[in-house]
Amino acid sequence: MNNDLDCHPATEMINKYVQGSLPTGWNVVLSAHLELCQKCRQEYGDLESAEVLSWSEGPVEEVANDFSDLVANIIQHPQQSAADIPLSQESSITEIHMLDHSFTLPRVLAKAANDGLEWKKLAGGINQAKVNIDTETQCEFIYMSPGSQTPMHRHQGNEITLVLDGSFSDSSGTYEAADFIIRNNNDEHQPVSEEGCLCFAVLDSPLTFTQGLARLFNPINRFKFRKTIARQS
Amino acid sequence: MPDTDHPAVDSSNARSLAPVDPDSDEYLLVETGNSQSSKAFNRLFQRYSSKIYAMGMKLTRNEQLSKDLVQEAMLNVWRKARLYDLDRGTAQSWIFTIARNRCFDMLRKLKRQPNCVTADDIWPQDNGSESALLPEGALHGEQGSLVAEASIIASYCKQLPEPQQAVIEQVYILDRTHDEAAEILKIPLGTLKSRLRLGVAKLRQLIGIDL
Repeated sequence: MNNDLDCHPATEMINKYVQGSLPTGWNVVLSAHLELCQKCRQEYGDLESAEVLSWSEGPVEEVANDFSDLVANIIQHPQQSAADIPLSQESSITEIHMLDHSFTLPRVLAKAANDGLEWKKLAGGINQAKVNIDTETQCEFIYMSPGSQTPMHRHQGNEITLVLDGSFSDSSGTYEAADFIIRNNNDEHQPVSEEGCLCFAVLDSPLTFTQGLARLFNPINRFKFRKTIARQS
Repeated sequence: MPDTDHPAVDSSNARSLAPVDPDSDEYLLVETGNSQSSKAFNRLFQRYSSKIYAMGMKLTRNEQLSKDLVQEAMLNVWRKARLYDLDRGTAQSWIFTIARNRCFDMLRKLKRQPNCVTADDIWPQDNGSESALLPEGALHGEQGSLVAEASIIASYCKQLPEPQQAVIEQVYILDRTHDEAAEILKIPLGTLKSRLRLGVAKLRQLIGIDL
Protein backbone atom coordinates (compact mmCIF):
# COMPACT_ATOMS: atom_id res chain seq x y z
CA MET A 1 0.00 0.00 0.00
CA ASN A 2 1.21 3.47 -0.77
CA ASN A 3 2.22 5.11 2.49
CA ASP A 4 3.31 8.50 1.20
CA LEU A 5 0.03 9.45 -0.40
CA ASP A 6 -3.36 9.24 1.19
CA CYS A 7 -4.82 6.40 -0.81
CA HIS A 8 -7.93 5.89 1.26
CA PRO A 9 -11.47 7.22 0.95
CA ALA A 10 -12.15 10.41 2.93
CA THR A 11 -14.14 10.10 6.13
CA GLU A 12 -16.98 12.03 4.55
CA MET A 13 -17.24 9.49 1.77
CA ILE A 14 -17.21 6.52 4.14
CA ASN A 15 -19.92 8.26 6.10
CA LYS A 16 -22.12 8.60 3.02
CA TYR A 17 -21.51 4.92 2.36
CA VAL A 18 -22.68 4.14 5.90
CA GLN A 19 -25.82 6.20 5.30
CA GLY A 20 -26.49 4.63 1.93
CA SER A 21 -26.56 7.92 0.06
CA LEU A 22 -23.94 7.26 -2.65
CA PRO A 23 -24.60 6.05 -6.19
CA THR A 24 -24.27 2.30 -6.42
CA GLY A 25 -21.01 2.31 -8.38
CA TRP A 26 -19.32 4.29 -5.62
CA ASN A 27 -20.77 2.02 -2.97
CA VAL A 28 -19.35 -0.96 -4.81
CA VAL A 29 -15.80 0.40 -5.05
CA LEU A 30 -15.91 1.47 -1.38
CA SER A 31 -17.16 -1.93 -0.32
CA ALA A 32 -14.31 -3.58 -2.24
CA HIS A 33 -11.74 -1.23 -0.69
CA LEU A 34 -13.04 -1.94 2.80
CA GLU A 35 -12.61 -5.63 2.21
CA LEU A 36 -8.94 -5.01 1.35
CA CYS A 37 -8.15 -2.32 3.94
CA GLN A 38 -8.39 -3.00 7.64
CA LYS A 39 -7.84 0.64 8.61
CA CYS A 40 -10.87 1.81 6.65
CA ARG A 41 -12.93 -1.16 7.83
CA GLN A 42 -12.25 -0.02 11.36
CA GLU A 43 -13.22 3.54 10.50
CA TYR A 44 -16.38 2.26 8.83
CA GLY A 45 -17.30 0.39 12.03
CA ASP A 46 -16.83 3.51 14.13
CA LEU A 47 -18.78 5.72 11.74
CA GLU A 48 -21.59 3.22 11.53
CA SER A 49 -21.89 3.07 15.31
CA ALA A 50 -22.06 6.87 15.42
CA GLU A 51 -24.64 6.96 12.63
CA VAL A 52 -26.82 4.36 14.31
CA LEU A 53 -26.66 6.36 17.52
CA SER A 54 -27.69 9.61 15.90
CA TRP A 55 -30.38 7.82 13.90
CA SER A 56 -31.83 6.20 16.97
CA GLU A 57 -31.90 9.56 18.71
CA GLY A 58 -33.81 10.91 15.71
CA PRO A 59 -37.57 11.49 15.91
CA VAL A 60 -38.23 10.36 19.45
CA GLU A 61 -42.00 10.64 19.42
CA GLU A 62 -43.54 7.24 19.27
CA VAL A 63 -46.05 7.17 16.52
CA ALA A 64 -49.48 7.50 18.00
CA ASN A 65 -51.29 6.24 14.92
CA ASP A 66 -52.92 2.91 15.16
CA PHE A 67 -50.81 0.56 13.17
CA SER A 68 -52.67 -2.51 14.27
CA ASP A 69 -53.84 -3.29 10.73
CA LEU A 70 -50.35 -3.03 9.35
CA VAL A 71 -48.90 -5.04 12.22
CA ALA A 72 -51.67 -7.63 11.91
CA ASN A 73 -50.84 -7.94 8.23
CA ILE A 74 -47.11 -8.30 8.81
CA ILE A 75 -47.40 -10.97 11.46
CA GLN A 76 -49.28 -13.16 9.00
CA HIS A 77 -45.94 -13.70 7.29
CA PRO A 78 -43.85 -16.66 8.32
CA GLN A 79 -40.60 -15.96 10.12
CA GLN A 80 -37.30 -17.20 8.79
CA SER A 81 -35.15 -19.59 10.70
CA ALA A 82 -31.42 -20.06 10.22
CA ALA A 83 -32.11 -23.25 8.28
CA ASP A 84 -34.15 -21.34 5.68
CA ILE A 85 -31.24 -19.17 4.65
CA PRO A 86 -29.37 -20.58 1.69
CA LEU A 87 -25.61 -20.32 1.93
CA SER A 88 -24.57 -17.30 -0.03
CA GLN A 89 -24.56 -18.19 -3.68
CA GLU A 90 -21.18 -18.81 -5.16
CA SER A 91 -20.50 -16.31 -7.89
CA SER A 92 -19.45 -17.94 -11.11
CA ILE A 93 -16.46 -15.60 -11.36
CA THR A 94 -14.49 -15.30 -8.18
CA GLU A 95 -11.06 -14.70 -9.58
CA ILE A 96 -9.38 -13.04 -12.52
CA HIS A 97 -6.52 -14.83 -14.23
CA MET A 98 -3.52 -12.84 -15.30
CA LEU A 99 -0.32 -13.84 -17.03
CA ASP A 100 1.26 -15.91 -14.31
CA HIS A 101 -1.17 -15.88 -11.44
CA SER A 102 -4.76 -15.23 -10.53
CA PHE A 103 -6.41 -12.79 -8.19
CA THR A 104 -9.39 -13.50 -5.96
CA LEU A 105 -11.91 -10.71 -6.26
CA PRO A 106 -13.47 -8.96 -3.28
CA ARG A 107 -16.95 -10.37 -2.74
CA VAL A 108 -18.94 -7.47 -4.17
CA LEU A 109 -16.80 -7.39 -7.31
CA ALA A 110 -17.20 -11.13 -7.81
CA LYS A 111 -20.93 -10.56 -7.67
CA ALA A 112 -20.75 -7.61 -10.08
CA ALA A 113 -18.68 -9.67 -12.52
CA ASN A 114 -21.02 -12.61 -12.23
CA ASP A 115 -22.55 -12.21 -15.68
CA GLY A 116 -19.13 -12.59 -17.25
CA LEU A 117 -16.47 -10.10 -18.25
CA GLU A 118 -15.95 -9.08 -21.83
CA TRP A 119 -12.40 -7.83 -22.13
CA LYS A 120 -11.62 -5.28 -24.80
CA LYS A 121 -8.11 -4.36 -25.86
CA LEU A 122 -7.47 -0.63 -25.87
CA ALA A 123 -4.36 1.19 -27.05
CA GLY A 124 -1.11 0.98 -25.08
CA GLY A 125 -1.54 -2.48 -23.57
CA ILE A 126 -4.66 -1.58 -21.64
CA ASN A 127 -7.59 -3.98 -21.37
CA GLN A 128 -11.00 -2.97 -20.20
CA ALA A 129 -14.09 -4.91 -19.13
CA LYS A 130 -17.18 -2.88 -18.35
CA VAL A 131 -19.60 -3.88 -15.68
CA ASN A 132 -23.18 -2.72 -15.80
CA ILE A 133 -23.92 -1.60 -12.24
CA ASP A 134 -25.99 1.56 -12.37
CA THR A 135 -26.95 4.47 -14.57
CA GLU A 136 -25.08 7.16 -12.68
CA THR A 137 -21.58 5.80 -12.99
CA GLN A 138 -19.51 3.80 -15.39
CA CYS A 139 -17.75 0.87 -13.77
CA GLU A 140 -15.00 -1.18 -15.30
CA PHE A 141 -12.16 -3.52 -14.61
CA ILE A 142 -8.90 -2.32 -16.11
CA TYR A 143 -5.97 -4.60 -16.69
CA MET A 144 -2.72 -2.85 -17.61
CA SER A 145 -0.33 -5.36 -19.15
CA PRO A 146 3.29 -5.22 -17.93
CA GLY A 147 4.98 -2.25 -19.56
CA SER A 148 1.74 -0.57 -20.57
CA GLN A 149 1.02 3.13 -20.61
CA THR A 150 -2.26 4.99 -20.98
CA PRO A 151 -2.34 8.18 -23.04
CA MET A 152 -2.11 11.42 -21.04
CA HIS A 153 -5.64 12.25 -20.03
CA ARG A 154 -7.67 14.58 -17.89
CA HIS A 155 -10.87 13.77 -16.07
CA GLN A 156 -14.06 15.69 -16.57
CA GLY A 157 -15.68 14.43 -13.45
CA ASN A 158 -14.54 12.13 -10.69
CA GLU A 159 -12.80 8.86 -11.18
CA ILE A 160 -12.08 6.40 -8.41
CA THR A 161 -9.52 3.74 -9.10
CA LEU A 162 -9.03 0.84 -6.72
CA VAL A 163 -5.84 -1.13 -7.28
CA LEU A 164 -6.62 -4.80 -6.86
CA ASP A 165 -3.35 -6.42 -7.84
CA GLY A 166 0.04 -5.31 -9.15
CA SER A 167 0.91 -1.62 -9.30
CA PHE A 168 0.96 1.45 -11.50
CA SER A 169 2.62 4.85 -11.31
CA ASP A 170 1.97 8.39 -12.44
CA SER A 171 3.70 11.69 -11.75
CA SER A 172 2.31 11.70 -8.18
CA GLY A 173 3.61 8.31 -7.16
CA THR A 174 3.22 4.57 -7.27
CA TYR A 175 0.01 2.80 -6.30
CA GLU A 176 -0.27 -0.73 -5.01
CA ALA A 177 -2.95 -3.22 -4.04
CA ALA A 178 -5.81 -1.75 -1.97
CA ASP A 179 -4.90 1.84 -2.86
CA PHE A 180 -7.97 4.00 -3.44
CA ILE A 181 -7.25 6.88 -5.80
CA ILE A 182 -9.62 9.74 -6.57
CA ARG A 183 -9.04 11.94 -9.59
CA ASN A 184 -11.08 14.94 -10.59
CA ASN A 185 -11.01 17.44 -13.41
CA ASN A 186 -7.92 19.20 -12.08
CA ASP A 187 -5.81 16.14 -12.58
CA GLU A 188 -4.04 15.32 -15.77
CA HIS A 189 -2.08 12.13 -15.67
CA GLN A 190 -0.46 9.36 -17.61
CA PRO A 191 -0.42 6.10 -15.66
CA VAL A 192 2.23 3.51 -16.49
CA SER A 193 2.59 0.00 -15.17
CA GLU A 194 5.84 -1.91 -15.23
CA GLU A 195 4.73 -5.12 -13.57
CA GLY A 196 1.11 -5.06 -14.76
CA CYS A 197 -1.88 -3.95 -12.77
CA LEU A 198 -5.48 -4.97 -12.22
CA CYS A 199 -7.83 -2.17 -11.13
CA PHE A 200 -11.50 -1.52 -10.67
CA ALA A 201 -12.50 1.98 -11.76
CA VAL A 202 -15.67 4.01 -11.32
CA LEU A 203 -16.22 7.15 -13.37
CA ASP A 204 -18.99 9.64 -13.15
CA SER A 205 -18.16 11.15 -16.50
CA PRO A 206 -15.96 10.34 -19.48
CA LEU A 207 -12.26 11.03 -19.72
CA THR A 208 -10.86 13.71 -21.97
CA PHE A 209 -7.58 12.87 -23.66
CA THR A 210 -5.26 15.83 -23.84
CA GLN A 211 -2.29 14.59 -25.79
CA GLY A 212 -1.47 13.60 -29.34
CA LEU A 213 -3.64 11.54 -31.61
CA ALA A 214 -5.71 10.25 -28.76
CA ARG A 215 -7.40 13.66 -28.62
CA LEU A 216 -9.15 12.73 -31.82
CA PHE A 217 -11.04 10.13 -29.91
CA ASN A 218 -12.63 12.58 -27.53
CA PRO A 219 -16.00 13.00 -29.26
CA ILE A 220 -16.22 9.27 -29.81
CA ASN A 221 -15.27 8.64 -26.24
CA ARG A 222 -18.00 10.91 -25.00
CA PHE A 223 -20.43 9.36 -27.41
CA LYS A 224 -19.47 5.90 -26.17
CA PHE A 225 -20.06 6.96 -22.61
CA ARG A 226 -23.48 8.30 -23.43
CA LYS A 227 -24.24 5.14 -25.30
CA THR A 228 -23.25 3.05 -22.31
CA ILE A 229 -25.46 5.12 -20.07
CA ALA A 230 -28.33 4.95 -22.53
CA ARG A 231 -28.05 1.20 -22.88
CA GLN A 232 -28.19 0.83 -19.13
CA SER A 233 -31.23 2.98 -18.60
CA MET B 1 -17.24 -30.34 13.77
CA PRO B 2 -17.68 -33.81 15.22
CA ASP B 3 -18.72 -32.15 18.39
CA THR B 4 -21.86 -32.48 20.40
CA ASP B 5 -21.38 -28.91 21.47
CA HIS B 6 -22.75 -27.69 18.21
CA PRO B 7 -22.39 -23.96 17.43
CA ALA B 8 -26.15 -23.72 17.33
CA VAL B 9 -26.17 -24.60 21.00
CA ASP B 10 -24.00 -21.58 21.62
CA SER B 11 -26.35 -19.28 19.85
CA SER B 12 -29.35 -20.52 21.83
CA ASN B 13 -27.29 -20.06 24.98
CA ALA B 14 -26.66 -16.50 23.89
CA ARG B 15 -30.38 -16.14 23.51
CA SER B 16 -31.09 -17.32 27.00
CA LEU B 17 -28.64 -14.66 28.15
CA ALA B 18 -30.99 -12.13 26.59
CA PRO B 19 -31.17 -8.70 28.21
CA VAL B 20 -33.14 -8.63 31.40
CA ASP B 21 -34.79 -5.25 30.88
CA PRO B 22 -38.13 -6.35 29.38
CA ASP B 23 -38.64 -2.95 27.80
CA SER B 24 -35.28 -2.86 25.98
CA ASP B 25 -35.30 -3.08 22.20
CA GLU B 26 -33.09 -6.17 22.38
CA TYR B 27 -35.53 -7.94 24.68
CA LEU B 28 -38.47 -7.04 22.44
CA LEU B 29 -36.65 -8.23 19.34
CA VAL B 30 -35.67 -11.55 20.93
CA GLU B 31 -39.27 -11.95 22.14
CA THR B 32 -40.57 -11.22 18.64
CA GLY B 33 -38.39 -14.02 17.33
CA ASN B 34 -38.68 -16.52 20.17
CA SER B 35 -42.41 -16.46 20.68
CA GLN B 36 -43.75 -14.56 17.67
CA SER B 37 -45.03 -12.03 20.17
CA SER B 38 -47.22 -9.53 18.35
CA LYS B 39 -47.16 -7.36 21.47
CA ALA B 40 -43.37 -7.09 21.44
CA PHE B 41 -43.40 -6.49 17.70
CA ASN B 42 -46.03 -3.80 18.09
CA ARG B 43 -43.79 -1.99 20.59
CA LEU B 44 -40.87 -2.15 18.16
CA PHE B 45 -43.12 -0.85 15.43
CA GLN B 46 -44.15 2.12 17.56
CA ARG B 47 -40.56 2.90 18.46
CA TYR B 48 -38.96 2.53 15.09
CA SER B 49 -41.50 3.50 12.46
CA SER B 50 -40.87 7.24 12.79
CA LYS B 51 -37.09 6.71 12.71
CA ILE B 52 -37.35 4.55 9.61
CA TYR B 53 -39.70 7.09 8.06
CA ALA B 54 -37.16 9.85 8.77
CA MET B 55 -34.40 7.78 7.15
CA GLY B 56 -36.65 7.25 4.13
CA MET B 57 -37.32 10.98 3.79
CA LYS B 58 -33.61 11.73 4.01
CA LEU B 59 -32.73 9.21 1.30
CA THR B 60 -35.74 9.45 -1.02
CA ARG B 61 -37.38 12.83 -0.23
CA ASN B 62 -40.67 11.16 -1.00
CA GLU B 63 -43.45 10.58 1.51
CA GLN B 64 -45.03 7.60 -0.19
CA LEU B 65 -41.69 5.85 -0.62
CA SER B 66 -40.86 6.53 3.00
CA LYS B 67 -44.14 4.96 4.11
CA ASP B 68 -43.42 1.98 1.88
CA LEU B 69 -39.99 1.74 3.47
CA VAL B 70 -41.48 1.58 6.97
CA GLN B 71 -43.67 -1.31 5.92
CA GLU B 72 -40.94 -3.10 3.98
CA ALA B 73 -38.31 -2.69 6.71
CA MET B 74 -40.62 -3.70 9.56
CA LEU B 75 -41.76 -6.74 7.58
CA ASN B 76 -38.09 -7.72 7.34
CA VAL B 77 -37.60 -7.13 11.06
CA TRP B 78 -40.50 -9.51 11.72
CA ARG B 79 -39.33 -12.14 9.27
CA LYS B 80 -35.72 -12.12 10.45
CA ALA B 81 -36.32 -11.64 14.16
CA ARG B 82 -35.46 -15.26 14.92
CA LEU B 83 -32.02 -14.74 13.41
CA TYR B 84 -31.18 -11.94 15.82
CA ASP B 85 -29.17 -12.57 18.93
CA LEU B 86 -26.99 -10.42 21.10
CA ASP B 87 -23.84 -11.45 19.24
CA ARG B 88 -25.19 -9.42 16.35
CA GLY B 89 -24.92 -6.16 18.22
CA THR B 90 -27.62 -3.83 19.42
CA ALA B 91 -31.19 -4.05 18.16
CA GLN B 92 -30.79 -0.48 16.95
CA SER B 93 -27.89 -1.26 14.67
CA TRP B 94 -29.57 -4.45 13.44
CA ILE B 95 -32.75 -2.56 12.50
CA PHE B 96 -30.75 0.34 11.05
CA THR B 97 -28.96 -2.07 8.70
CA ILE B 98 -32.23 -3.65 7.61
CA ALA B 99 -33.84 -0.26 6.94
CA ARG B 100 -30.85 1.17 5.03
CA ASN B 101 -30.45 -1.96 2.93
CA ARG B 102 -34.13 -2.26 2.09
CA CYS B 103 -34.23 1.41 1.16
CA PHE B 104 -31.27 0.97 -1.15
CA ASP B 105 -32.81 -2.05 -2.89
CA MET B 106 -36.19 -0.31 -3.16
CA LEU B 107 -34.63 2.70 -4.86
CA ARG B 108 -32.63 0.57 -7.25
CA LYS B 109 -35.74 -1.34 -8.24
CA LEU B 110 -37.60 1.91 -8.74
CA LYS B 111 -34.84 3.32 -10.94
CA ARG B 112 -34.78 0.02 -12.84
CA GLN B 113 -31.10 -0.48 -12.13
CA PRO B 114 -29.62 -3.83 -13.07
CA ASN B 115 -29.97 -6.24 -10.19
CA CYS B 116 -26.45 -7.64 -10.33
CA VAL B 117 -25.58 -6.31 -6.90
CA THR B 118 -27.89 -5.92 -3.93
CA ALA B 119 -27.53 -4.07 -0.65
CA ASP B 120 -26.50 -7.28 1.06
CA ASP B 121 -23.53 -7.60 -1.31
CA ILE B 122 -22.50 -4.00 -0.73
CA TRP B 123 -22.81 -3.89 3.05
CA PRO B 124 -21.73 -7.35 4.04
CA GLN B 125 -23.56 -8.10 7.23
CA ASP B 126 -24.42 -11.52 8.45
CA ASN B 127 -28.05 -10.70 9.01
CA GLY B 128 -29.08 -13.77 7.15
CA SER B 129 -26.60 -16.42 8.08
CA GLU B 130 -26.20 -18.55 11.13
CA SER B 131 -24.07 -17.67 14.02
CA ALA B 132 -21.18 -20.04 13.35
CA LEU B 133 -18.03 -18.50 11.96
CA LEU B 134 -18.06 -20.75 8.92
CA PRO B 135 -21.20 -21.96 7.19
CA GLU B 136 -22.08 -25.46 8.29
CA GLY B 137 -21.68 -26.72 4.74
CA ALA B 138 -18.11 -25.47 4.62
CA LEU B 139 -17.24 -27.35 7.78
CA HIS B 140 -18.60 -30.66 6.64
CA GLY B 141 -18.34 -30.29 2.91
CA GLU B 142 -15.28 -31.04 0.88
CA GLN B 143 -14.74 -27.54 -0.35
CA GLY B 144 -11.27 -26.92 -1.67
CA SER B 145 -11.43 -23.29 -0.65
CA LEU B 146 -11.77 -24.17 3.02
CA VAL B 147 -8.01 -24.34 3.51
CA ALA B 148 -7.61 -20.88 2.06
CA GLU B 149 -10.43 -19.56 4.21
CA ALA B 150 -8.91 -21.07 7.32
CA SER B 151 -5.63 -19.33 6.62
CA ILE B 152 -7.39 -15.99 6.14
CA ILE B 153 -9.19 -16.49 9.42
CA ALA B 154 -5.97 -17.48 11.13
CA SER B 155 -4.39 -14.21 10.06
CA TYR B 156 -7.28 -12.23 11.52
CA CYS B 157 -7.12 -14.29 14.67
CA LYS B 158 -3.81 -12.67 15.54
CA GLN B 159 -5.66 -9.41 16.10
CA LEU B 160 -7.76 -10.87 18.90
CA PRO B 161 -6.84 -10.74 22.57
CA GLU B 162 -4.64 -13.69 23.54
CA PRO B 163 -7.27 -15.61 25.58
CA GLN B 164 -9.80 -15.45 22.71
CA GLN B 165 -7.15 -16.53 20.21
CA ALA B 166 -6.38 -19.54 22.36
CA VAL B 167 -9.98 -20.80 22.52
CA ILE B 168 -10.56 -20.24 18.81
CA GLU B 169 -7.38 -22.12 18.01
CA GLN B 170 -8.47 -25.06 20.17
CA VAL B 171 -12.01 -25.27 18.86
CA TYR B 172 -11.89 -24.11 15.25
CA ILE B 173 -8.36 -24.94 14.19
CA LEU B 174 -7.46 -27.98 16.30
CA ASP B 175 -11.08 -29.16 16.18
CA ARG B 176 -11.33 -29.97 19.89
CA THR B 177 -14.66 -30.20 21.66
CA HIS B 178 -15.53 -27.44 24.08
CA ASP B 179 -14.93 -29.80 27.02
CA GLU B 180 -11.52 -30.86 25.76
CA ALA B 181 -10.50 -27.30 25.02
CA ALA B 182 -11.57 -26.08 28.46
CA GLU B 183 -9.55 -28.83 30.08
CA ILE B 184 -6.45 -28.15 27.99
CA LEU B 185 -6.62 -24.40 28.66
CA LYS B 186 -7.51 -25.04 32.33
CA ILE B 187 -10.47 -22.69 32.27
CA PRO B 188 -14.12 -23.32 33.21
CA LEU B 189 -16.40 -24.40 30.37
CA GLY B 190 -18.53 -21.26 30.77
CA THR B 191 -15.48 -19.03 30.40
CA LEU B 192 -14.43 -20.91 27.32
CA LYS B 193 -17.84 -20.48 25.75
CA SER B 194 -18.04 -16.79 26.45
CA ARG B 195 -14.50 -16.20 25.12
CA LEU B 196 -15.38 -18.22 22.06
CA ARG B 197 -18.52 -16.21 21.49
CA LEU B 198 -16.76 -12.87 21.93
CA GLY B 199 -13.84 -13.98 19.77
CA VAL B 200 -16.06 -15.21 16.97
CA ALA B 201 -18.16 -12.03 17.05
CA LYS B 202 -15.00 -9.93 16.90
CA LEU B 203 -13.62 -12.03 14.06
CA ARG B 204 -16.79 -11.65 12.08
CA GLN B 205 -16.53 -7.93 12.59
CA LEU B 206 -12.87 -7.89 11.53
CA ILE B 207 -13.45 -9.98 8.47
CA GLY B 208 -16.57 -8.05 7.66
CA ILE B 209 -17.80 -10.60 5.15
CA ASP B 210 -19.62 -13.87 5.08
CA LEU B 211 -17.06 -16.54 4.53
